[in-house]
Amino acid sequence: MATQATKRETPHPIGDSVPRVDAREKVTGSALFADDFQFGPGLLYARVKRSPHPHALIKRIDTSKARLLPGVKAVVTGADYPGMIGLYLTDRYIFCRDRVRYVGDPVAGVAAISEDIAEKAIDLIEVEYEPLPGVFDPEIGARPEAPLLHPDLGKYEVANFIFPKPGTNISNHFRIRKGDVEAAWPQCDVVIERTYRIPHVQHVPIEPHVATAKAEENGKVTLWGSSQSPFAQRNLIAKALGMSQSDVQVVAPYVGGGFGCKAGVSMEALAVTIAMKVRGRPVKLRLTREEEFHTAFVRQGLVSHFKMGCTKEGRLLAMEVRFYWDGGAYTEYGVNITRASGYSSTGPYEVPNVKTDSYCVYTNHPVGGPMRGFGMPEMHSGLEQCIDELALAINMDPVQFRKINCVKTGSTLVTGMKMHPTGLSECLVKAAEAIAWGRKDPPSAPNKRRGKGIALMWKAPAMPPNAGSSAKVALNEDGTVTVSVGGQEIGQGSFTIAAQMAAGSLGVPVEWVRVATPVNTDYSPYEWQTVASRLTWSMGNAVAAAGRDARKQILEMVAKAWSENPEDLDIIDGKVISYKSEESISLKNIVIYGIPLPNDQGWVGGPVLGRGNFMPTYVTGLDAETGQGPRAVVHYTTGAQAVEVEVDMDTGKVEILRGVAAFDVGKAINPDMVKAQMEGGFVQGLSTALFEGLQLKEGVLQNSSFVDYRIATSTDVPQSIQAIIVEVPQDDGPWGARGIGEHAMVPTIPAVANAIYDAIGVRVGAPPYTSEKVYLAMEEAGLV
Amino acid sequence: MTIDAHPELPEFDYIRPATLMEASRFLAQHAGEARPLLGGTDIFVRMRDGFWHDKYLVDVKNLDGTGEIRFDPASGLSIGAGVNMNQVMASPDVQAHYPLLVEACRSVASYQLRTRATIAGNICNASPAGDTIGACLVLGGALKIHGVDGFREAPLTTFFLGPGKTVLRPGDVVTAVSFPLPPKGSAGTYYKLGRNKWSDLSIVGVTTYGYPDKTAASGYRFHIALASVAPVPLVVTSAQEYLASHPVGPDAFKEAARLAYDACQPIDDVRGSARYRKAMVRRLTEKGLVTVWAKIGG
Amino acid sequence: MSLHRIALTVNGEYEQVDVPSQMTLMQMLRDKLAFTGTKNGCNAGECGACTVLLNGEPVNSCMVLAVECGGAEILTVEGLARDGVLDPVQQAIIDHGGVQCGFCTPGILISSRALLDRQPDPSEDEIRQALVGNLCRCTGYLRIVDAVKDAASRQRAMAG
Repeated sequence: MATQATKRETPHPIGDSVPRVDAREKVTGSALFADDFQFGPGLLYARVKRSPHPHALIKRIDTSKARLLPGVKAVVTGADYPGMIGLYLTDRYIFCRDRVRYVGDPVAGVAAISEDIAEKAIDLIEVEYEPLPGVFDPEIGARPEAPLLHPDLGKYEVANFIFPKPGTNISNHFRIRKGDVEAAWPQCDVVIERTYRIPHVQHVPIEPHVATAKAEENGKVTLWGSSQSPFAQRNLIAKALGMSQSDVQVVAPYVGGGFGCKAGVSMEALAVTIAMKVRGRPVKLRLTREEEFHTAFVRQGLVSHFKMGCTKEGRLLAMEVRFYWDGGAYTEYGVNITRASGYSSTGPYEVPNVKTDSYCVYTNHPVGGPMRGFGMPEMHSGLEQCIDELALAINMDPVQFRKINCVKTGSTLVTGMKMHPTGLSECLVKAAEAIAWGRKDPPSAPNKRRGKGIALMWKAPAMPPNAGSSAKVALNEDGTVTVSVGGQEIGQGSFTIAAQMAAGSLGVPVEWVRVATPVNTDYSPYEWQTVASRLTWSMGNAVAAAGRDARKQILEMVAKAWSENPEDLDIIDGKVISYKSEESISLKNIVIYGIPLPNDQGWVGGPVLGRGNFMPTYVTGLDAETGQGPRAVVHYTTGAQAVEVEVDMDTGKVEILRGVAAFDVGKAINPDMVKAQMEGGFVQGLSTALFEGLQLKEGVLQNSSFVDYRIATSTDVPQSIQAIIVEVPQDDGPWGARGIGEHAMVPTIPAVANAIYDAIGVRVGAPPYTSEKVYLAMEEAGLV
Repeated sequence: MTIDAHPELPEFDYIRPATLMEASRFLAQHAGEARPLLGGTDIFVRMRDGFWHDKYLVDVKNLDGTGEIRFDPASGLSIGAGVNMNQVMASPDVQAHYPLLVEACRSVASYQLRTRATIAGNICNASPAGDTIGACLVLGGALKIHGVDGFREAPLTTFFLGPGKTVLRPGDVVTAVSFPLPPKGSAGTYYKLGRNKWSDLSIVGVTTYGYPDKTAASGYRFHIALASVAPVPLVVTSAQEYLASHPVGPDAFKEAARLAYDACQPIDDVRGSARYRKAMVRRLTEKGLVTVWAKIGG
Repeated sequence: MSLHRIALTVNGEYEQVDVPSQMTLMQMLRDKLAFTGTKNGCNAGECGACTVLLNGEPVNSCMVLAVECGGAEILTVEGLARDGVLDPVQQAIIDHGGVQCGFCTPGILISSRALLDRQPDPSEDEIRQALVGNLCRCTGYLRIVDAVKDAASRQRAMAG
């Protein structure tokens, strides 16, 4: 399996910073996004009636007035669709049937000839609710006496690595029991206990969700959407509706930002079910920005309790970790965050004694789903601050403390797995050097204070053990290549990587390679989902395999035509050459029409179509009681970030002066794009560190627009963000590569928090580190 | 709860009158269901959110010459209601004689929003957070208003009645904001504390302005206007009086800041707490006075 | 409620449309004229994805009524390139890797184009402030700022 990687050869354009294949389309405005498709005059518009209550029974729904409004073509309620839907746990109806569980939960849908008429029809739908007491805190929700949000939890279909507790609000409980923490505490010279309450944040893609669906008379359904997961959407929607996957076609163009919110299924099922009531006409549902804030996936809130201890020499001996994940109304996707954080709960450190309990708790909050980092930013926010505190408590430099304890090749990890080769120490050293760790520069004004902070991270792709990828490489008459993948271009550059890998594995210039777009589940090869920072590694392996398959077909054909050995042939720059006879032939035409034999004796070859797939086969289960097992995950990407900040003592405002990021990506297939991910992720991390938080009061969102949910603007980013690539190859990655997309935003919050502490000597607590929070913390500490 | 925000604007009729008198008559005739429209940046948001349901939007941009900036070295500045904030910022006369207005406009939103936003609109919207209102107050701004009875003037100091409420009556159209010549040696500054470095609404906004004045016991007059800490843009007369009657210097500035702290009545909201806002009023008032004092030669 | 017939120029071409009063310029461009390069990110004047030039000045087209645009000249992202040759801001943003998902890109390009039209030699601060109304969630902005600075110097060099 590891052939290409162990050869350690990097043909061009592997490792080259080639320009993006989709850049020209995007800068000319010709790149199509889901709301840009033209459907003609038959297009109908959908709107959704949503619950104003965080928790209530539905007593009565009366849609009669809505149905009579001229221009209304269909009205749908939960009574029409009894199927449940979910990725790891089917706990959700498409439209609510007996109760609503968060403000915005869909109760009814309308299709009409205009968005305005659909809106008016929504207002005419009467719903009678009986409000129920709500759960707004996961620790409280985990208690046995809390109101029960999912009485049928025991009946839900669930993946075999998720452990719900029926009769409670706990939809997953992941445990680590390693060594003996109770025996270890007395051996520690310092023990600290801290609690960090990390608020909900949201993805905020600049493109809101949009889905258009059409149901044909023959029962086939087509869904056009802004989607990271066309195949998962096809699968989950088909299952929920009792349909064959082959009767659901998902067409997925460029995505205007995903970060996880367009993975799995959220509003797409609403569009499909409304369209099925209409039959024969496309129905478009688009979320307003306000609806996006209220009802799209959110990043779960977290209550994290850390207890950790070390010796005075700086050795971490024990960690006790309790996570209460605010999973929201439905945790069909979020349950796996509980697990992923559990099996990573020590952070990237070797700790001999670990006790972890990670709970996913139902609450009457918006639905927690996958967001860049999948639990890692939330976890590291508190954990990396505790690490700093331990270091400072024993008067050790925080960088030195991390050097001692960070995972290295061969380290025993929290699940018992052995760490594969990793460049984490190198990332740490390089980040510290780049930020000039240890040097404090004078502040820019007398009322300011400067500080530096550092944080490490790790993350494994969180997915089922058998998430698969496949790819096709087709050759065209003129020798150009068309790559087909099921992975989505969400801005991270996956199409460019696919083109580079196809070019590299075949032997053609990258300019000859096109990537088929949009992804279409009828024509594109299967890809589990575009999540988990898995495409470069997993889809990449499939593309490389498909390229090698096509190459093999070509070389065998030419070898036959020339009576030579395929081993003596090669493809370089789009030409097949023989090292033996020094013959050469262009790929043009032969890749479709084959090669004529001499003396008109027939033909050899045929249309070349390379295929490849990849699925990891070595991930093992973990013991349900101890969380131990030989191979919990496929691999970890590790890294470090360091920041220099300046705090304004008059206002509490934190300015990020400089940022440094260093990540071990195994092999940078396109170094410039890897750096671009590091920069962009740093800024998204900075934004969550300084500005972001969903303000939920009794389940009602107070800041549901850009006016009051602030994200970083061009004026908020530092003067420079230095991106450092470290390459310790991944044994089964294409040319050694592993992912970077999520990791780039994981350690930013604690790096900033540690820097603020360095600047003003106050630990401000949980993010966001708004000027108010910092100022009032300074006031409490008597600094101002 | 803005989950009720609609995907599109509600239905209304767009009316473009040819003259101010046509506009005033139409607005008066349709009182309660018609609204004057300049840049629309506040109106469209409110209508889509379902708060405003006007049947008519009456476009009053540039009627009868209200789209011009006029500076007269003898009498002062007049900014027509239709002048957008970018145009104000780009005007050589405004830059030379009223730089505080430029500073205030720069703090508003974004360049593309300022292509539509107007100072007159900012004033008529009467949000206590209005960024240009403080500058207009301290510069002694007055409004020229056209109503069914013709033109009249209204000082800004008595214009605001509450959040979103002004002395304007049905039929009234603000046609210009005018400012007297600035006193010799005057200078001002606007400290706006937002969440982002630029473009946000203010958590608090502090406008300070000062100039030598022999009629004041201290020899100087200072003006202080606060945004986002009261139901209306707040002029801190107690601090102004103190500074006019006590020796100017760091102690006076500290006391003035304390008076501003006492005078303001902020609330807790999504942007900030009352406690923080009061603390920031105090700090930024002191800082503003120190800055202005340095500029006017103190 | 009645329709208004307006005639205007978009990217140098004559267009004529019947629009209801409440239709925004953004809706008219996208839904009536199929200029889908201009994007809808918030419909509230906050994100800048809908930025176009209206008589040479950038506006959030979601905050302008179509009916106000009779006789106006509009420039959208589709009008930046001439005869297949990319505008310097377009080429520079590609060269600097300032495009990722591409959804904010049209608005960014329009705001940048307008900045260079009014200020051919902008400082980094001026560029950042000119783009403060164009939200990007992917790139982190630095490459975009570099691209605009580079486009400015390329333009100045071409001007001789």
